[in-house]
Amino acid sequence: MPLESNARIAKELARHGYNAEREAITLLASAPDSADAVESVVDRAPDDALRITSDHVRAVTNGRSASDADPTHESPPARTGDGSSPGASTTRSPVETEGSSSGPHTESHTTADSTADSTADSTADSTADSAPHHDPDLRDLEVGNDMTGQSTGTGEYGDFVRTFRDRYERLSKVLRGRVNHRPAEAIAEMPGGSDAAMIGLVNDVRSTKSGHWLVELEDTTGTFPALVMKDKGLADLVDEIMMDECLAVEGTLADDSGILFADSLHFPDVPRTHRTGAADRHVQAALISDIHVGSDEFMADAWSRFTDWLHTPEAEPVEYILLAGDMVEGVGVYPDQDEELEIVDIYDQYEAFAEHLKEVPADTEIVMIPGNHDAVRLAEPQPGFNDEIRSIMDVHDARIVSNPATVSVEGVDVLMYHGVSLDEVIAELPEEKASYDEPHKAMYQLLKKRHVAPQFGGHTRVAPEERDYLVIEDVPDVFHTGHVHKLGWGKYHNVLAVNSGCWQAQTDFQKSVNIDPDAGYAPILDLDTLDMTVRKFA
Amino acid sequence: MRPDDERYFARIEDRLDEAWDVAEAAKEQGHDPKPEIEIPIARDMADRVENILGIDGVAERVRELEGEMSREEAALELVTDFVEGTVGDYDSRAGKVEGAVRTAVALLTEGVVAAPIEGIDRVELLENDDGTEFVNVYYAGPIRSAGGTAQALSVLVADYARSLLDIDEYKPRDVEVERYAEEIALYDKETGLQYTPKDKESKFIAQHMPVMLDGEATGDEEVSGFRDLERVDTNSARGGMCLVAAEGIALKAPKIQRYTRDLDEVDWPWLQDLIDGTIGKDGGGASDEAAEDADAETDDGEDAGTDPNEADDAADDPESDDSEAAEPDGPLRANSSQKFLRDLIAGRPVFTHPSEAGGFRLRYGRARNHGFATGGVHPATMHLVDDFLAAGTQIKTERPGKAHGVVPVDSIEGPTVRLANGEVRRIDDPEEAKEIRNGVEKVLDLGEYLVNYGEFVENNHPLAPASYVYEWWVQEFEAAGADVQAMEDDPHVDLEHPDVDEALAWAREYDCPLHPEYTYLWHDVSVDAFEALADAVAAGDVVEGVLAIERTDATQTALESLLVEHVATPDALRIPTWRPLARSLGVDDGLRKTWDASDLSTAAREWDDGENAVKAVNEVAPFEVRERAPTRIGNRMGRPEKSESRDLSPAVHTLFPINEAGGPQRDVTEAASVMDDSGHRGRLELEVSDRVCPECGEHTYRAQCPDCEVHTDLHYECGGCGTVCEPDEAGRVECPRCEWEVTAATDQEVDLNDAYRSALENVGERESAFEILKGVQGLTSRNKTPEPIEKGILRAKNGVTSFKDGTVRYDMTDLPVTSVRPEELDVTADHLREIGYETDIDGEPLRHDDQLVELRVQDIVLSDGAAEHMLKTADFVDDLLEQYYDLPRFYEVNERDDLVGELVFGMAPHTSAATVGRVVGFTSAAVGYAHPYFHAAKRRNCFHPETEIEYRDGAGWHRETIEEFVEDRLDDPETDDFGTLVDELDADVYVRSIDEHGEPTVQPVTAVSKHRSQDHLVEVRTTGGRSLRVTPDHTMLRVDSDGLRDVRASELSAGDDIPCPAGADPSSVTGETTALADGGVVTDEISTVEPVASDVDHTYCVTVAETHSLVTNNLYSKQCDGDEDCVMLLMDGLLNFSKTFLPDQRGGRMDAPLVMSSRIDPSEIDDEAHNVDIAREYPREFYDATLEMADPESVEDLIQIGEDTLGTDEEYHGFGHTHDTTDIAMGPDLSAYKTLGDMMEKMDAQLELARKLRAVDETDVAERVIEYHFLPDIIGNLRAFSRQETRCLDCGEKYRRMPLSGDCRECGGRVNLTVHEGSVNKYVDTAIEVADRFGCRPYTKQRLKVLDQSLESIFEDDTNKQSGIADFM
Repeated sequence: MPLESNARIAKELARHGYNAEREAITLLASAPDSADAVESVVDRAPDDALRITSDHVRAVTNGRSASDADPTHESPPARTGDGSSPGASTTRSPVETEGSSSGPHTESHTTADSTADSTADSTADSTADSAPHHDPDLRDLEVGNDMTGQSTGTGEYGDFVRTFRDRYERLSKVLRGRVNHRPAEAIAEMPGGSDAAMIGLVNDVRSTKSGHWLVELEDTTGTFPALVMKDKGLADLVDEIMMDECLAVEGTLADDSGILFADSLHFPDVPRTHRTGAADRHVQAALISDIHVGSDEFMADAWSRFTDWLHTPEAEPVEYILLAGDMVEGVGVYPDQDEELEIVDIYDQYEAFAEHLKEVPADTEIVMIPGNHDAVRLAEPQPGFNDEIRSIMDVHDARIVSNPATVSVEGVDVLMYHGVSLDEVIAELPEEKASYDEPHKAMYQLLKKRHVAPQFGGHTRVAPEERDYLVIEDVPDVFHTGHVHKLGWGKYHNVLAVNSGCWQAQTDFQKSVNIDPDAGYAPILDLDTLDMTVRKFA
Repeated sequence: MRPDDERYFARIEDRLDEAWDVAEAAKEQGHDPKPEIEIPIARDMADRVENILGIDGVAERVRELEGEMSREEAALELVTDFVEGTVGDYDSRAGKVEGAVRTAVALLTEGVVAAPIEGIDRVELLENDDGTEFVNVYYAGPIRSAGGTAQALSVLVADYARSLLDIDEYKPRDVEVERYAEEIALYDKETGLQYTPKDKESKFIAQHMPVMLDGEATGDEEVSGFRDLERVDTNSARGGMCLVAAEGIALKAPKIQRYTRDLDEVDWPWLQDLIDGTIGKDGGGASDEAAEDADAETDDGEDAGTDPNEADDAADDPESDDSEAAEPDGPLRANSSQKFLRDLIAGRPVFTHPSEAGGFRLRYGRARNHGFATGGVHPATMHLVDDFLAAGTQIKTERPGKAHGVVPVDSIEGPTVRLANGEVRRIDDPEEAKEIRNGVEKVLDLGEYLVNYGEFVENNHPLAPASYVYEWWVQEFEAAGADVQAMEDDPHVDLEHPDVDEALAWAREYDCPLHPEYTYLWHDVSVDAFEALADAVAAGDVVEGVLAIERTDATQTALESLLVEHVATPDALRIPTWRPLARSLGVDDGLRKTWDASDLSTAAREWDDGENAVKAVNEVAPFEVRERAPTRIGNRMGRPEKSESRDLSPAVHTLFPINEAGGPQRDVTEAASVMDDSGHRGRLELEVSDRVCPECGEHTYRAQCPDCEVHTDLHYECGGCGTVCEPDEAGRVECPRCEWEVTAATDQEVDLNDAYRSALENVGERESAFEILKGVQGLTSRNKTPEPIEKGILRAKNGVTSFKDGTVRYDMTDLPVTSVRPEELDVTADHLREIGYETDIDGEPLRHDDQLVELRVQDIVLSDGAAEHMLKTADFVDDLLEQYYDLPRFYEVNERDDLVGELVFGMAPHTSAATVGRVVGFTSAAVGYAHPYFHAAKRRNCFHPETEIEYRDGAGWHRETIEEFVEDRLDDPETDDFGTLVDELDADVYVRSIDEHGEPTVQPVTAVSKHRSQDHLVEVRTTGGRSLRVTPDHTMLRVDSDGLRDVRASELSAGDDIPCPAGADPSSVTGETTALADGGVVTDEISTVEPVASDVDHTYCVTVAETHSLVTNNLYSKQCDGDEDCVMLLMDGLLNFSKTFLPDQRGGRMDAPLVMSSRIDPSEIDDEAHNVDIAREYPREFYDATLEMADPESVEDLIQIGEDTLGTDEEYHGFGHTHDTTDIAMGPDLSAYKTLGDMMEKMDAQLELARKLRAVDETDVAERVIEYHFLPDIIGNLRAFSRQETRCLDCGEKYRRMPLSGDCRECGGRVNLTVHEGSVNKYVDTAIEVADRFGCRPYTKQRLKVLDQSLESIFEDDTNKQSGIADFM
């Protein structure tokens, strides 16, 4: 049994400026005196080495103790097949109706450390002297829609208009195949009684005195009102409408041509036929968010259990970590926040976060986007961190991209968005369609609207840019958000929506309003099958 | 009432009658909307109620009932009268209910606020589903000003009337019940309720309510379920209804129950369930709430409203808890409190950090210009704080209340300063202050701060230790055997400012503490510094009577802290008056130190941890030395004083509509000359009232028929069907066919040119008489009644403008004054004699201009600006009478002296009753000085300070008298054999308590009980001035050597120590943390235990879990913001005010003089004024009591306050004061805050002053300015930027989001942002600079940096940044 946790060893090596292979760490951890072993390895490592390999370790351990030269230890752990991989069985993959934090599919790792580690011991011996199996060449990671460094908006009126026009143009394209759009101007000229359809951004929704709904749509030529009768069966859809989303309405013009009686409403939506991509090998990604380092409530222990686990063979397929924002607790996010900060200095918070990141195996690919607690602008899209903060976190060489951004991981498109707009969706929509207990349902709405934060003028802040980066132009395979600190996942038209929990225990405020966050969970996604397992570390 | 007072009121009323007659004659001519005066006179509360309601006969009945029963009972009694028709002239049943409901609300609000008329829109009869009728009460938003009890009672009254009239109960439909619940929750979310009923409670109330509560929509947000109900005509929250249901019925259920019990006709058994709190125990919409709030927290919690750290008081408490209470070896001090520093605003400086040395020193006393919510500051101080303080400037204070208006008092000590030349001196002369202020390097001490005893009573603040001052010393001196009377009469002796030899001799001869003049602030120096100074003095030299000691940092700091006047030269400190200092240091005249270090006792050394040398001084000095200034009062500037005319924006001369024709200036002349398409000038399509001449039947908008010259009547024609309608008894006009409200407003073509020209001709003026005549764009009143243009012409001519109700107003900050000198009012003794003043305060005949006379209750002093404005108004009124009404001029003023004796109206904001005042003089201070009773008569506070215990329930901390507390909770009591009522409580109610180890805790109350009182009670009095009356077998706590012990009250004896709450901050309405942080037990020694006869029927008790103790430290603090009240000239109000001008919207009738009080009845005014003390001196016992930090009530017998003379002949006079002041207008006329330019200039001055004042920590000030002003501004604007509206520059159309077309959809014009980069980042650079310059915390700097980067990220193009100078090369 290792005296030292894998993560600590990795961290210790990192402190000395070394990266380490996974096997090397496992070997070190199983050495009789890990601390001593680490020191020796560091001492004896070649001057030009940047990465401690299992060879280095063996060179040291062998030289030190003959009994340690057990050949079974000289091999990296073998990959077990899908079926035997603990906690990753396909039967556990979530289906659309699921998505609660305490479902049967979560695996508690509070006590699983020992088991995991012993598995590591027993399996870490099948093959010998093989090359590190984490072949960087097999990896494939691309980022799309990143606007970091591309913020060209200067806060002019024209920038706003450009942003909304871009939204309209790109989303109306999605709808054009479904209805025969006529511009508002043209509809106004049409004779009463004719059929007409219009695609527009929602300008206003209000109820009439008689209980019907008036939805006003706007396109580049003007606005036109559509009346949704309360008994038409469409009224239910009206509940889902948010301001400024793109919508198509089909119907009949009133006799005086002043209003369109709606027969059908169309959201841009995700086609039911959406086909997902998949990795062509067994590889996994951890989807996490809301670490909140620096907060009094940051769960360092749970985090370490998670990173420890990452060093176990069981976690071997986890080659990617996708972080959906709120790395740190931040400063000045709410009044008198300093009184609840363990680390008051924002840079120290990122330093601490970087330290915690070092516990993650060095060869894991990390992609992160900022959240509303991070030190970037709150207005969306949020660019990735500035150079000062990047330099603090450069050890792990993580990819830091904007919020939102699309990450293509070995053929799987993951849309990462922090999730501030979820609050608004949950507040505006009826509880059965979106609630904090089922955050993934709120995400379905965003997918349906093909926009991560449609409503302007309310909760969500908009920074005008030359295009609307918040539009979901291409349908992702996975939609990953955080922010609401609740765990939930499910599939919507084949798109897996995941709201990862958080790593921050219940705050005083949350307590006062009776919110119980889902803290210390790590959803693990199979990139080849898009099945997901949630592991619990708290 | 004394004959003298009778004469005074008669004199006022005579003049009022005179004016009334003239105004009546003018009004009768019919030029005005109504042919009679529209401000009825009310002589008392009953009159006000009648007048505000306009229901005849109410006053008489109210007066009859008033003596017999409480107001609530009277309100119920009146219901019978209304139903029987003996009061009010209502035919319909709905009208009777309405009259009764309105009267009830008016009675309970003393006829001062508009709630009864504005808050209740109407009462109507509707039909239940079973065909029976029910009563629907239609509430509106302003019902809020009535308060919960009146709201709840209005429902009860409606129900009572309903049952008397035999109308059925309201039978709600299920959807309506659900709707109530949803709506109340929505309203709470949108607007906020004091008490939020759970969904189940709301439904419960709705189900059982025997009358329907309805109302108009007050918000934009709509309910999502239960929409479009047949009997509810809006989908938005009905605010008035929500208030009545939640804050009225749900919150005040126990109170209503008391009244329902006494009524046979009304039975609300369901109240019991509500009171028990058994409804909605399982918490209906809790998850919704959680969800809503979660959204507030999980994201940008900068919205101050959703502060996740609401309990931020907890943060302050560790700081405020530096009371030495727990340590016996330190002096007793009031706890310091940071609260007043909150929300510090840029440009409004801090004068003293909480209880900081060098700050304002508390002195007790009432100057003649002192009353409630005021603090006396030396005028020299006002100048030395860079003129930021002026008379009337509001400051936020640490204690005893929250805010004070500053008044200049020069009979207290001035500030002490260090000048650039090294001299340290006290400045007692404002002129000297002005001379030297450029050379001031540091303000070492701000001087004294005079607070009257009544202020402590009013705020129920424990007395803070008093400064040692002359008036205390002289009493001690006398008690020590000195013949003070003889000395006072001796012209060679100056008792107040004796010379050194005398002072030293007196201290020695009479064994009396050293005269305060030579008592230094020993408590501000440490024992070490004291010893060092003693050595330095002993080592010094006396040259020509001046002591020179070595100058070291230690000695200099010590002398500066002691406030010893001296001059610092490069190597020496030269002290001219050194003997008292040396003596106090134990150094004799020969500079021999009479003691050495070993002579100091340990107690003296360790007193207050060695930080306070006062014990040491007393050990080595040959006389007793008292603490000179133990209490410092922190404060900062609040609002500046105000004295300016009240103008509408833009200013208006005439309430005559001209649409857009007059341009942005609303120029009537221009509008009258605009040519229309057909070539006519000044033809405008205006929305004005339709009136008809009773003689010739001609229609016109004018109040007088141009042909027949008779008064015209409003003509109500239904816009839908053309039916001509008549107003009903409540003044509403409804079309019987279309069932909607009909107004007399119609669109008419008006020949403005003709109207304007003929108006000029009517009053015989030419256009050159005025510069511009401004009208209004449109009228806001219901019937769109225009004012005659003639009035506007004369206003413009005389340079005054009109308020929305047709009156000319002038705003002034209220300051109280009880005695004045003719001289300072810029009038002569003759003037005052002419208006009835005969003697000065000492009863001497009034002959000289510098004699002090006691001000009459309704006399007011106008500021110079107000006087000038009133002069112009008087000219306007005279012109109006002469040129328009053809009546003789009334005022005939030439100079402002002529205004003396004239009557004005005074009005406070948010009230609807004016008080008649009389001008007595003028002051250069920018404030309105008047008798405290006058100010209080205008006002009405929502609270009554009769609170004794403090408890916390689900909704937070509350305070209540124990009687109320228990009565409210005695729901279903069990009665034992002795007649004791006991009720177990289920609801969670907590009180502050103390456990057996003396640790304060918070404990739940498990039961309440009401006991039949025994014949005798035990009165326990303590040396600390506390007293408590309990039954002999009541368990008390006694402090023993080993903690607290339970003991029967009858077993207590004098000398026992009982625990008492540490002098907690009275204004802290905080959570548990406060209580826990209060640390330590303070004990009070029992002085007497005496049986007393019981004078009550019942005693009350509560049972507290675990510890069985509770704190009954009746801490109560009341809002005391210095409101700006306004004055109007009497005749102007009588002639020009009309209700018909008032806006037809909720709140439109607030701030309008719907009724006037012609004389003040001191018992009917706001009771804060009753706590003004009226004694001429405070006794020695009072000062002793302050050292014990006694409860102010415990010394109430020692000092007379206004309350003591209420209802006696003396109630109108005898307002003595303890301190005089040379002139009530000393100090700067205006605060620097008003004279400095922009915000930056003010902030620079604020920070500069912070550096200069010893008692102020400039870094903290900078930090707070950034925290409370800059950061919220930047963050707020940044947020606003990213979700802003846009507006068309051409037509003004607003868009929630930018139009996709880019241009205005209405007019095609240019659309632009409403929040620009400039408004977002205007303060960023300044804030960063200030943070750097004043060394703010890294946290603050980082917040600014992150924000700065956010701004950059939004407003800068990343691809267009210059990376360096190289880019330009």
